Amino acid sequence: MDLFHNLILGFGVAVTPINLLYAFIGVLLGTLIGVLPGVGPVATIAMLLPITFNLNPVSALIMLAGIYYGAQYGGSTTAILVNIPGESSSVVTCLDGYQMARQGRAGPALAIAAIGSFFAGCVATLLIAVAAPPLAEVALKFGPSEYFSLMVFGLIAATVLARGSLIKAIGMVVFGLLLGIIGTDVNSGVLRFTFGIPELSDGIGFVVVAMGMFGTAEIIANLDLKDKREVFLSKVTHLYPTKEDLKRSWASILRGTALGSCLGILPGGGALLASFGAYTLEKKVSSHPEQFGKGAIEGVAGPESANNAGAQTSFIPMLTLGIPGNAVMALMIGALMIQGIAPGPQVMNEKPELFWGLIASMWVGNLMLVILNLPMIGMWVKLLTVPYRYLYPSILVFMAIGVFSLSNNPFDVLIMAVFGVLGYICVKLECEPAPMILGFILGPLMEENLRRAMLLSRGDPFVFFQKPISLGFMIAAAILLVIVALPAIRKKREEAFVEEAK
Amino acid sequence: MRIKNPKDFWAGLMFIGTGVFFAVFAYANYQMGTAVRMGPAYFPFLLGGLLAVLGLFVFLEGFAFEAGGEPLQLPFNIVDLVIAVAIFAVLLELAPRIGLSPDWGMLAASLVVSVLTVLYRPNAKALVLISVACLVYGYSMKPLGLVGATAALVFISAYGGHEFKWKEVSILFVILILFSYFVFVKGLTLPFPMWPAVWS
Repeated sequence: MDLFHNLILGFGVAVTPINLLYAFIGVLLGTLIGVLPGVGPVATIAMLLPITFNLNPVSALIMLAGIYYGAQYGGSTTAILVNIPGESSSVVTCLDGYQMARQGRAGPALAIAAIGSFFAGCVATLLIAVAAPPLAEVALKFGPSEYFSLMVFGLIAATVLARGSLIKAIGMVVFGLLLGIIGTDVNSGVLRFTFGIPELSDGIGFVVVAMGMFGTAEIIANLDLKDKREVFLSKVTHLYPTKEDLKRSWASILRGTALGSCLGILPGGGALLASFGAYTLEKKVSSHPEQFGKGAIEGVAGPESANNAGAQTSFIPMLTLGIPGNAVMALMIGALMIQGIAPGPQVMNEKPELFWGLIASMWVGNLMLVILNLPMIGMWVKLLTVPYRYLYPSILVFMAIGVFSLSNNPFDVLIMAVFGVLGYICVKLECEPAPMILGFILGPLMEENLRRAMLLSRGDPFVFFQKPISLGFMIAAAILLVIVALPAIRKKREEAFVEEAK
Repeated sequence: MRIKNPKDFWAGLMFIGTGVFFAVFAYANYQMGTAVRMGPAYFPFLLGGLLAVLGLFVFLEGFAFEAGGEPLQLPFNIVDLVIAVAIFAVLLELAPRIGLSPDWGMLAASLVVSVLTVLYRPNAKALVLISVACLVYGYSMKPLGLVGATAALVFISAYGGHEFKWKEVSILFVILILFSYFVFVKGLTLPFPMWPAVWS
């Protein structure tokens, strides 16, 4: 009955008025940025990080988590109504959701998306509550070699699951690892790659890098395209899905939830991968695949459940191992560190109110989202009519103010601008910034664990292949690499991404 | 010989350059140590080498083997980018010699590069003006205060877009400065000066 007690503790924390308020702010903001194309959860959370400094850790995390899964809800609304993915994870929802809307069935599509998301959210929350404690238990036994191998596995997985060229993705990871090295070396106290700039002695701030790579770079890339956003609003008449709709979609919701939960746990996974995977799966198992792309309700139910489940289960590695699976989780770790909490398996025992409070708040937040979304759809869609030329200067103001307030130093803003340019170039060269961010946050951790492991093994590099858990991670990483490198599968992977990206 | 895939070609070059730089710089300046007791150069040297090797693969693929791929669509030349950065760096070096403080030097250099871009490479306007807008915001916060810095950011960045109407942007600026004031200065009590330093 431990689980039960823990959940009660969690709800005790989550339903205090102040935390309810922050959960509400989080999901509201999340929905807002989910609706607006060109503003993603990464940039938003990065923007809000400096502000969370003034909050208590539980409220801060509750709010930031709300932004992430809230964005998945908001993204589906615009995908269905106006055929614009507000969030990258709702790209596939456009395919069938918008077709349904054109057939005058926008209401049922939205309702199914909401129901599926809510169901997936509930299941995923429960899964975190059940799976996290035993995982953390195992993680407590990890030594430096296990941690190092786990990180190698995580980074490899992140690149395998990324789009585009595998070598380029690995290159970006290594690039990120190198950037993470900049600053004072913990072991020797030597300043590395600081070039005599005093501001670099603490390393480059993670928030600054993330804002540059995902924030300014995105704005610049968007401005390269013409502002051609048009809004054709289909009327939402009846909201309730028919019996037939429910009958067709309940299995999809179940499958989407299961797939999304699994993919969310994997490093490099999360909402984006989950929704793509679910759509492909639905199309495969469907008895009428020809309807997909023409308004099949399964094509909305599956991915929408999956992206929400994935968004939530991606918290599992972050909470239990202290290792981020995607860029949003890396920011969450940043938020914990700002609060002076070292992320890792010990958090659950040392700060149970934080851990269980966050989990309970996810369920509360999901409930709020359903209430927030369905009746207020009209308002969210109005937001879409705000032209980008008003939006991006506003986003820039918030980013600049957030970065500047980190340490009241213009140098941080300079670094943000530099990474904006770098991020823009990376986008143009088809180098994904997400693996780089993962490498950047894991760089110092990896070096530290590598050094310790080598010290303990007296310089024997085979230590990583002798301990069973460590060996397991290494083998898994190798298998992943081999599988992707095989020509046949490589071709398939490329095809899959091409098809999905359409 | 034609480059088969320019995106991979340039990405490869970028990786090789970065990797070699990190590896050589680490090797030359910090202690390597041994595998048992790694010095500060060990890890960066390894990674730099790895990145250079990966870069070589990407480079060769892009240069000779892998055909296809969409052409690289940059609204400006990569050489222009290097020239712009060089101009910026030279101006930063020169600024202290004519008696400007580093902060003002940064602002002056940004201004010059922006004007040059708008005049000669209008296609790179978005890239340069958005970056410069952030820069100017940071470096004008102390001398010009929140109002001045926000004005600079909003007007410069708006000018980097497709349409620029004074009236619209002015209204946007007023809304944003009010929001910044009430949320960040009043609400979150961030210690920003509101007005230019010379006034108070």
